[in-house]
Amino acid sequence: MSIQRALITLNSLENGDRGLAVDSRFQVIVTVMYLVAVLSVPLADPGMLVWMFVYPIVMAEASGTGYGRVLVKSLWVLPLATVIGIFNPILDHTPAWHIWSVTVSAGWVTFISICLRGVLAVQAVLVLVYSTGFYTICTAMQRMGLPAVLTTQLLMVYRYISVLLQESLSMSRARAARGFGCSSYPLRLWGMMVGQLLLRSVERARRVHNAMLARGFDGALPAPEPKGLRAADWIYLAGWIAAFALLRFIDISGIFGNIIDPAS
Amino acid sequence: MHMADALVSPPVAAVAGVAAASLLVVATRKVAKSQRTDIIPLMGVMGAFVFAAQMINFSIPGTGSSGHIIGGILLAAFLGPWAAYLTLCSVLIIQCLVFADGGLMALGCNMINMAAVSTLIGYPLLYKPLVKYPISTARIMAASVLACVLSLEGGALLVSAETVASGITALPLGKFLMFMLPIHLAIGICEGVATGLVIAFVQRYNASLLSGAVDAGTHKTSPRRKQVLWGFGIAALVLAVAFTWIASANPDGLEWSIEKVAGVAELAPAQAPATAFMPDYESHFAGIVGGVLVMITLWAVTMLMFRRRRQASAQRIK
Repeated sequence: MSIQRALITLNSLENGDRGLAVDSRFQVIVTVMYLVAVLSVPLADPGMLVWMFVYPIVMAEASGTGYGRVLVKSLWVLPLATVIGIFNPILDHTPAWHIWSVTVSAGWVTFISICLRGVLAVQAVLVLVYSTGFYTICTAMQRMGLPAVLTTQLLMVYRYISVLLQESLSMSRARAARGFGCSSYPLRLWGMMVGQLLLRSVERARRVHNAMLARGFDGALPAPEPKGLRAADWIYLAGWIAAFALLRFIDISGIFGNIIDPAS
Repeated sequence: MHMADALVSPPVAAVAGVAAASLLVVATRKVAKSQRTDIIPLMGVMGAFVFAAQMINFSIPGTGSSGHIIGGILLAAFLGPWAAYLTLCSVLIIQCLVFADGGLMALGCNMINMAAVSTLIGYPLLYKPLVKYPISTARIMAASVLACVLSLEGGALLVSAETVASGITALPLGKFLMFMLPIHLAIGICEGVATGLVIAFVQRYNASLLSGAVDAGTHKTSPRRKQVLWGFGIAALVLAVAFTWIASANPDGLEWSIEKVAGVAELAPAQAPATAFMPDYESHFAGIVGGVLVMITLWAVTMLMFRRRRQASAQRIK
């Protein structure tokens, strides 16, 4: 990923879509439940996974993010899934499906499953972040019992990523302007550049620390004020968990197939 | 080396998650007890630094390709092992949530494979004992390369074990390792040289930055190392017990993939219906095609339903 692309991603999250007014803790819980449901589907049954797309589609549209954006971004996981999954069709030739006159091997079926799992899992995380925002997720995790040291640290890393990315971008640009067309760095030069960036970072951390002390910092950021749960939050939680149970334990593809094509 | 959610099963994710979370609890306690008041902002900025450093690629000599650092040993050399573990975990969480790099369920696996192995094993067992006074560039380079190779190989070993235990790949563990370990040996050497160069640079220009971690180590080396070893011993025991349980309780686990590969040796004939796990699939396939059509329709319907909300958020971004 280029530095510019990382900065664009960070900025888009800063201005993120906050269309959903559900308690952020419940959003985190629902995402985890969804991932458990998706990942527990046996590899031999990609039909079940197709129906799991209900959650990202509905949530991406309902939060105003747009499913297209989530779909395109989730496809980046496919190369990794392919690298790991491609051994299955090569090694496993057991016939699994007979679709009319075509026989599909179990290796290909599991390969499709691995790709679908990858895409669905990434979509669930993207939906969570786009609809909630990173800061809100961190505070939700703190309210769920995560130690304040960790959440404070997480927010600080997040805050300074864009600052240091800007710094490394300006260093890279300065070097590129004087680099006579060389696109990457020889190791020794890279070591000096990154060492410089590190010294600057530590210097910055010192200034930040002094500024924080001057404003009464005592080791952790103050916890957010607790908000009461509304009926809508409980309906959201119960509704999705019931939906996941339905999608996971009832073979909708089979039932649907029998309705469409009862002869076979 | 980031594992995606597609590569783990829920039991493996849960076991690794518990192990990573217990190490996180220990790390947060250690950091909270630390006498250094500037540790939190330093960790924050150093985490962001690792992120920025990962974006600057170096060219790997003789190959024409380029690489970037992971930064575990580098962070540990400046912050000490536990603070470095915590910082690297934060980087992994942000990579997962913001950049969709590595999955949310696989987060525990990634924390163990990438953060714990380097900061809590590679650093205290190899880097720190090797970098002693008088510190020289050669010492730093040798220690970094050895520690990074150990960390990367350990991480690759765990990635392979977790993927095979999840029953994802039909490749047996031995073959998987033959595929993973040589690649990560090469990556480890590059990472080690790169890490060594940065540490040597800082050593030359501002050695006091490194002395914090080194000094703290020389005063109480043995009790600290003992704690690390204890922590890891317990985590390894939990992992071993859990993996055995998964392998015996879950037919989709280790045995599944071993059986699958054992079956490859005597290839089943294409028309053997007895081995097919879902022979009559025509109606089911029709169900899947129907499912895909339903999902597309659902997308169209929800898009129309929530059109206004989307326009509002688009305006907010402008």
